[in-house]
Formats: sequence, C-alpha cells, structure tokens
Amino acid sequence: MKDPYSVLGVSQSASDEEVKKAYRELARKYHPDNYQNNPLADLAEEKMKEINEAYDAITKQRAGGGGYQQQSSGSYGGYAQQQRSYSSNNPTYARVRNLINAGDLGTAERLLYEVGRKDGEWYFLSGSIAYRKGWLDEAMQNYTMAVQMEPSNMEYRQALNMMQQRGGGYRPYGYTNTVDGLDCCTTMLCLNCLCGGGHC
Amino acid sequence: MFGYVRPLRQELKCRDFDLYRATYCGLCRCLRRRYGPVAPMFLNFDFTFLALLLWQPEETFTPCRGRCHANPLVQKPMCPDSPALELAADESIILAWWKLRDSVRDEKFWEGMSAQALSGLLYPAYRKAAGLRPEFDRAVRDSLEELTALETEQCASLDRTADTFARLLRSAAPASDPRSRVLEQLLYHLGRWIYLIDARDDLSEDREADRYNPVAARYGPEGDDPALKLTLDHSLELMGAALQLGDFGCRTPVLENVVYLGLPLVQRAVFDGSWAQIKKQKIWRNGQ
Repeated sequence: MKDPYSVLGVSQSASDEEVKKAYRELARKYHPDNYQNNPLADLAEEKMKEINEAYDAITKQRAGGGGYQQQSSGSYGGYAQQQRSYSSNNPTYARVRNLINAGDLGTAERLLYEVGRKDGEWYFLSGSIAYRKGWLDEAMQNYTMAVQMEPSNMEYRQALNMMQQRGGGYRPYGYTNTVDGLDCCTTMLCLNCLCGGGHC
Repeated sequence: MFGYVRPLRQELKCRDFDLYRATYCGLCRCLRRRYGPVAPMFLNFDFTFLALLLWQPEETFTPCRGRCHANPLVQKPMCPDSPALELAADESIILAWWKLRDSVRDEKFWEGMSAQALSGLLYPAYRKAAGLRPEFDRAVRDSLEELTALETEQCASLDRTADTFARLLRSAAPASDPRSRVLEQLLYHLGRWIYLIDARDDLSEDREADRYNPVAARYGPEGDDPALKLTLDHSLELMGAALQLGDFGCRTPVLENVVYLGLPLVQRAVFDGSWAQIKKQKIWRNGQ
C-alpha cells in the first residue's frame, strides 16, 4: 500500500487538523455525486477508496500505534457502496441496465432498439446510454420524454434534474468564482495570453 | 485548429504562465525542427494545450533556452523536446493538412486557391507526419469524411455531428498512456465543445451564405443560446471531472486554468459576439 500521507498529500508532521482538511478536500473532489453515470465513475470510486483507507490508517496510527483500534470518526467511509439501485420488471430492461453498468453501450443500444413499445423506462435507458457516450443533448431529450411519460418516477426526474443543473460540480480551491464577474475588456486582455505582454 | 483553447492569463501564477509560454515556444521549435521553416505557421494554442495534457507527469519543470523562430536574435525559455511535444507537433500537422484539404473543396474559388497553395507547401510535412502517426491520420480522415456526409444530409442531431469531431480529438491520446481513459474522456468532450462553439461562432455567417450549420439544424436559424450553453457547460463539467482523475504533476494548475476559466470565458465571448475581435488578433501574430 502507498504511504497514506502521500495519498492525502500532507507531510508526516501535519497536524490532525491538517490531515482532516486534506482528507475532506479530496473526499469532496472524488465524491460519487460528481461522477453520477460518468463513464469514469469507477476510477473516482477507486480514488475514494484509496483516500478513505489512507485516512483511516493515519487516524488509527495516531490513536495509539494499533493497540486501541479507534473507529474512523470523520471518514466518509462507505460512500462508494451507496449506489442507488433501481430494478426493472422488464427482463430486457434489466439486461440493458447491466450492460450500461458494465460499459457495453453498443450491445445495450442494440438490445434496446429491439424493444417495440417505447415507454418511460425505454426513454430513460436510452438517455442513460446517450449520456455515457457523451451525447448530452440526446440524453436531455430522452430524459425529458421519460419524465413526460411517467412524471411520478423519481429516478427519471433525478436524471433530468442533473442535466438541467450543471455547474454544481466540484471546483478546486481558487476556481470557485466563475468567469461571470469579468467584464468585456478584461475578456479581450486575458485571452490574448501570449501577445499581451509584448514579448512575442 | 481553431484557437479556442486558451488559459486565462490573469489567473495564472507567474511560474504557470512561464510553463505555458515555454511549451508554446517549445512546440514551435519542435515543429520547425521536424518539419522545416513553414511548419511553425500551423502552431496554435489548442495543440499547446494538447502537449501539456499528454506530457508525462513531472514534479517540477525546468525550461532550457532556445532561439526564437520569429526573431532569431532572441533566446527564449523553451520546454525541452519530449514524446508528448512531438506527438502534438505531428498531430497538428496532420489536422492542419486535412483541414486545408477540406477548405480546398468547400471554399469559393479564391479562398480555395490559397488553401490549395498552403496545402501544397504543407504536403511534404504531412507525408512525414502521416507516416509517423498512421492511426491518427486514418482517424482524422475517417472522421472528417463522416462529418462531410452528415453535413451533406443536413443532419439535425447536434450530438451526432459533434461526435465525429469529438472522436477525432479523442484519438489524439496515445493508447499506451496509463491515463488513457481519463485523456480520452477529456479530449472527447473538448472536441465536442470545440466543434459546437465553432458552429455557434459561424452561425450568422452560415445563415447568410445559406450553408449547413449544426446549431441552426438543431435549434433553428437563430440558434438557442440558453439550450446550447447548457449542453456546452455540461461538456466542460465532464472535462473537469476527468481532469481531476488523472495525474498531471506540475502541469495541473495550467490545465485547470484552461478548463475552469479559459474555455468558459471563450464560450462567453463567442455567445456575446466579442470573440470575433479577439479572433482577429490571434494565432498568426503570435506564431511568427
């Protein structure tokens, strides 16, 4: 296993408070909410696991060299397991869901197109496939259809909601203010990133 | 390519700005060394970003000095040659050539002539680059062919047309890189974003010339800025999420600056029309 301190990016002499702060920041970064339905969700999950383990190792070590096993107090443990699971009554849809989760979008798409009757779940799954492919506009359209057909379904509404509210995701420290505050002249100056200084 | 991918300079630390400029100058030198004196003409910001992105993670950066192509009397800090820089140089030549071929076919007579002349100049360089990177060459050719077919049939799907260019850019990442999944996702959405922002930028021009435009085909002749912004912001968001999962060493701050600040600002400038002015003073003056 990697050195837990280097995983969290702090030195061995860091105070408990610093360790906790570093851990919190990383947990915020790799939080599963930032990677919902993202094709890289598994990588984020791995990172999350790594930092959870590192944090637990440090807290244990500091609590007394392993004699007394303290429960990890501040750890966001178990986040990775919090996968919301929805099930389908239709066996084809259940298979499509599994294929999407396994990343086999081509087969999922083919299977879905063989279904004759298009209901809310069909559009929802179609939207999920589009989203995974990066076809965000079609994902949005399909989720909208799904919600129209079954307005009471929370899963579909959540998916549509996510599409409508971008910008809530993780930003590293220092990038929390977006460019909205800049006026036009600054835009001109800033984007001339090489010439402005007169060195080129 | 297009010059849309830039950092926001005022938010860069001095050392990150130096790193950016040294990479830009290093790419220029790399182009000249590999492809002769014409090649630096095709130097641009987009491929500087690509070089920074593909560079193997390093803790620190030490520039060396090199003679400037535009002014040989001056020595400038430049990044040393590296596989990432060479890849970015080769790929920029390949893409520039195919784009020129596209213009030869699409443009009116005189513009077509100048593109023809340029592509004649570039041909030997292209031959060499295509020999070095046959997969990328094939990917670019196939994607652009597909794109032409979609444009001919007036495709109304925003995603389908953008997907061709997105896949093109995705293939710029070397498969051997341990970060390849992260890079591919990031480059896919960068390609999607570039294609769509370029389409939005051309919207009125295409309307007047009665040309196909993917944004007009999807939202109508006037476009729909709020809807387009939503989907573009989402691509930027996914780029940021991918960026956080890769190890980019000392290049992380520059890359974050481009993704979180530079691209959104360019996007805003394209939407409010101020980009037209910024664009005029772009690459050529810098590249000399």
